[in-house]
Amino acid sequence: MSSTCNVVRLAKLGVVIAGFVIATAAPARADRVEKHFPVQSKPMVTVRNASGRIQVKAWSKNEVQVAWTSVGGKTAVETEQAGNRIEVITQMVNGTASAEDVKTDFEITVPVESELSVRTDSGNVTVESVHGDMTFDTVGANLQLSDVDGYMVIKTIDGSLVCTRCGGKLEANSISGNMQMIQPVLDSVRVQTSSGNILFDGSFLNRGVYIMKNFSGTIEVHFSSTDSFDLNATSLKGKVVNQASFKPDAHGSHHPASKYGESLFGSMNDGHAKVELSSFSGTIKILKRD
Amino acid sequence: MQCNELEQILEQHTGGPLPGLATAHIEGCRACGALATDLDAIHAAAIKLGAEEIAPPEHLWVSLRNLLEAEGIIHEPTPALPSVQHGWWMAYQRPALAGAFLSLVLLAAGMISFLGNPTQVANRLTVSPQLEVKREVSAMPSATNLFQEELLTVNNENIPGFRMRDATVTDSIRRNLNIVDNFIAMCEKDVREQPENEMAREYLYGAYEQKAELLATAMDRGTMGGLQ
Repeated sequence: MSSTCNVVRLAKLGVVIAGFVIATAAPARADRVEKHFPVQSKPMVTVRNASGRIQVKAWSKNEVQVAWTSVGGKTAVETEQAGNRIEVITQMVNGTASAEDVKTDFEITVPVESELSVRTDSGNVTVESVHGDMTFDTVGANLQLSDVDGYMVIKTIDGSLVCTRCGGKLEANSISGNMQMIQPVLDSVRVQTSSGNILFDGSFLNRGVYIMKNFSGTIEVHFSSTDSFDLNATSLKGKVVNQASFKPDAHGSHHPASKYGESLFGSMNDGHAKVELSSFSGTIKILKRD
Repeated sequence: MQCNELEQILEQHTGGPLPGLATAHIEGCRACGALATDLDAIHAAAIKLGAEEIAPPEHLWVSLRNLLEAEGIIHEPTPALPSVQHGWWMAYQRPALAGAFLSLVLLAAGMISFLGNPTQVANRLTVSPQLEVKREVSAMPSATNLFQEELLTVNNENIPGFRMRDATVTDSIRRNLNIVDNFIAMCEKDVREQPENEMAREYLYGAYEQKAELLATAMDRGTMGGLQ
């Protein structure tokens, strides 16, 4: 009887150890691993991954679910939970792996109210319907945010950003990535890219501040006739194309005409929002929305 | 006391209270007062910077070790490959080198900015033309040299440890370094041709900052780990 129990215990132990090895030490190629972390309130989820897709979605459960697939088969994923803080970090199993070997795809599901910190080099990052502060640090990874709300800080080298129906505040810096804000509900935008293009297609909220700057790309802003904003647009060596009817600044701000470049100052309606567009050699377009 | 005399006193001043004549002159001369305040701020920043513990570049240790091994002073073999614990993700926990490098180049950029600001230059010109000429031959070249040595001459071939295995990342950083270098060249040309063009100057500083951040990122992902 006793020996039978020992056998059962050993068998259980073997299963546990095997599971642990698969999950953390040397996952087989393309194995999907899933972990669940119960949380009490707004969790802070940190993800560090070199290469691969990171997909973050929201659900109504008080739980963070992290699922990953080691595409290259030479990574181990370490997870840690301390209360509402959850960290997910990809580790290289040995020092000779190539970039493809360390590729790991993540599917993460978090409560709607969650904070995120994502750092990755290459591979796409998508975040949907999460409300909370977020930071993203990427080299070439493209970023797609939709229906998110919070204070978003993005730093990328040449990854692009597509922000659809984003609310809150956005700070984004890139060198050659394009930045697109589609139907935004943002009240603070500070976006800068060097050679990338910037598109803002949405309404300027009252008391909002919108600063968009690039070096050589195009800055395109779409407005509707009911929008209310003060505009300051300058391109040092490029053109400023305007379809709006601006009146002199309604708030008495003095804009001395620069002898360099092409500038446009003025107010639309009551000038509630503040819009600053600046380019070194790119074209600035202020276009009427269809 | 004349402005140029005060300039000599300030140059030789190493701390503590200034002589009474100098203090009196500063109180009566707005331009010299501004100059003294600026120098005090730089002095304070330098002390603060010196007090911080900055990690030396990793290649220095490698060179030192090679030298000691060549001279037979040390014989201990060094680990060939980093372990998982010392792998590339440690970069996220030990960004001191990249941070120190970034701080250095940003400080240099700040010095260039300070010394190249036309408003401040104009203020100094009201003090004494001789003073300005002297400053240009003494301070400006050293700041410029520092900046050029530490930032502008760095390219993707001589970033220490720039050996990332992820070709996409390496290509991305190289391509963007070229983009920023081109912008710097364009801005510098504009600033040289139109020194009073503030917007061109702002873009130039922005491009310097971007290059510094890009190099720090490259080192962060490369030297301190990256996909090595």
